[in-house]
Amino acid sequence: MSIGLDEVLHVAKLAELAVREDELRRLVEQMNRIVDYVATLDEVPADRMAEPFLAGPQSVTLREDVEATVPLARLPAAIAPEFVGGFFLVPRHGAMEDQ
Amino acid sequence: MTTTAVGPRGSGAAVARETGARLAKAEPLNAVLDWSQELLDAEGARVDRMAAPGPLAAVPVVLKDNIVTVEQPTTCASRILEGYLSPYNATVVDRLRAAGAIIAAKSNLDEFAMGSSTEHSAFGRVMHPLDPSRVPGGSSGGSAALVAAGVVPAALGSETGGSVRQPASFCGVVGVKPSYGRVSRYGLVAFGSSLDCVSTFGRTVDDAARVLSAISGPDPLDATTVDRPALRVPTLLPDLSGLTFGLPREYFPTDLDAGVASALRRTADRVRELGGKVREVSLPNSAYAVPTYYIIAPAEAAANLARYDGVRYGRRQVGREGDIRALYRTTRGEGFGDEVRRRILVGTYVLSAGYYDAYYRKAQRVRALIAEDFRRVFDGGIDLLLTPTTPTPAFKAGEKTEDPVAMYLADVFVCPMSLAALPALSLPVGRSEGLPVGAQLVAPYFEEERMLAAARVLEQNLDAGGEVR
Repeated sequence: MSIGLDEVLHVAKLAELAVREDELRRLVEQMNRIVDYVATLDEVPADRMAEPFLAGPQSVTLREDVEATVPLARLPAAIAPEFVGGFFLVPRHGAMEDQ
Repeated sequence: MTTTAVGPRGSGAAVARETGARLAKAEPLNAVLDWSQELLDAEGARVDRMAAPGPLAAVPVVLKDNIVTVEQPTTCASRILEGYLSPYNATVVDRLRAAGAIIAAKSNLDEFAMGSSTEHSAFGRVMHPLDPSRVPGGSSGGSAALVAAGVVPAALGSETGGSVRQPASFCGVVGVKPSYGRVSRYGLVAFGSSLDCVSTFGRTVDDAARVLSAISGPDPLDATTVDRPALRVPTLLPDLSGLTFGLPREYFPTDLDAGVASALRRTADRVRELGGKVREVSLPNSAYAVPTYYIIAPAEAAANLARYDGVRYGRRQVGREGDIRALYRTTRGEGFGDEVRRRILVGTYVLSAGYYDAYYRKAQRVRALIAEDFRRVFDGGIDLLLTPTTPTPAFKAGEKTEDPVAMYLADVFVCPMSLAALPALSLPVGRSEGLPVGAQLVAPYFEEERMLAAARVLEQNLDAGGEVR
């Protein structure tokens, strides 16, 4: 399997990750090295495959579906300076363009 | 003979002062990301005010900096979380404090726990305490180095694919990974959610076990914890009679480092002398553990790290284009280091349309085969497995940083147990040319007490500081 430059850029876009031009060639090489290595799983015959593994307890215990106190050590207002009426205030989307 | 360090100590205030002095002296290791004498003194005073001193009364414990704390920043050794203060404590932190422990410092790690050498920290690499030209292992290298240097008797790390056992082996301390579900992950910054385990380091088996006991048990804030009582610290057995140890042949390749091979031979001989039986067994699918791990862990990491977008946490970098997507990409592109970005890209690739079945689904099925191997061996009369923890002693800094696959293979003997959710520990069993060598014990699911009891017997009967070649 060979991953090209365009594929790495596509994956970076999916991952919301900016990649610098000067590091692209090295990144393509390393991605190929890693993906070629993990492709050694192709050696495992399909007839030896088991059902996917589930880590931990077979049945997950969910807590009661009731509203409970949020276990915060500080009140939200102490964490976010702009906290009004139960909402965090953030910059308006358009405001980004001014920065 | 090893004596325990976790036990009755002086006053909290005195321990806080001593610990501060040792942390200051250990600065050249670059193992600590945050500590202050002021916070230590407050911790000491809090312990002194406790009406009933707990089982860890005035024991200073270091936390890997991917375990969230209210009083100190949690950075995961990443620029993207620099200065981040959690609004809550991890369950393990609350349990340590309730047991009387003094939270001493936050330790350096590979960024977001991704690495095997603690060279991938945004705040510089951690030095091996015996040889600064070498790595302490990783990703919990800061915690391992601080315990090995005698700064604290015990520390918390985290395991996703061996990140406590491998540095424990390199640094010559004990590292214990519990069964998945034994310890709450609430407040452990998520990397690979089906693999992540808070784990412990100690100067002795007893130290690591006592800390593990204090933090274990079900937690309503983590639905994946198992509803079983907290771990009991095992008492010292007279010998190993009645126990059968399996030596999996796949973990003793012909190119195994000579010092490691010699140390493991000596350990197996000592098992026999102490009344244990030793049998060769086979775990054929362990050969696929590293490639399986490097599909599953990056896939889970790509999903877990999507939350670091410059809006919800930490650092924000506005992109040139000025729109919200540019903000995400620039923040993440500049905030994450090389190894984290590589893993996010690999994880996104293996989960993307067209590749999901070929990689991720297949890896999940091979993971089941790896776990099935262990089940078959334990069902066949084996009580514990004995393997090397690492293929070599601590390697030189910079030796593997250019080849990610070479770095991943440093975990070849430790990541199968993580995939199978099993408990395992690394015990120092000797030195090769001055560098520590670790042996690994592996137990069936939730049989930590058997594993710890056997490790204590071996610890009492092996010269961990002696040369093996």
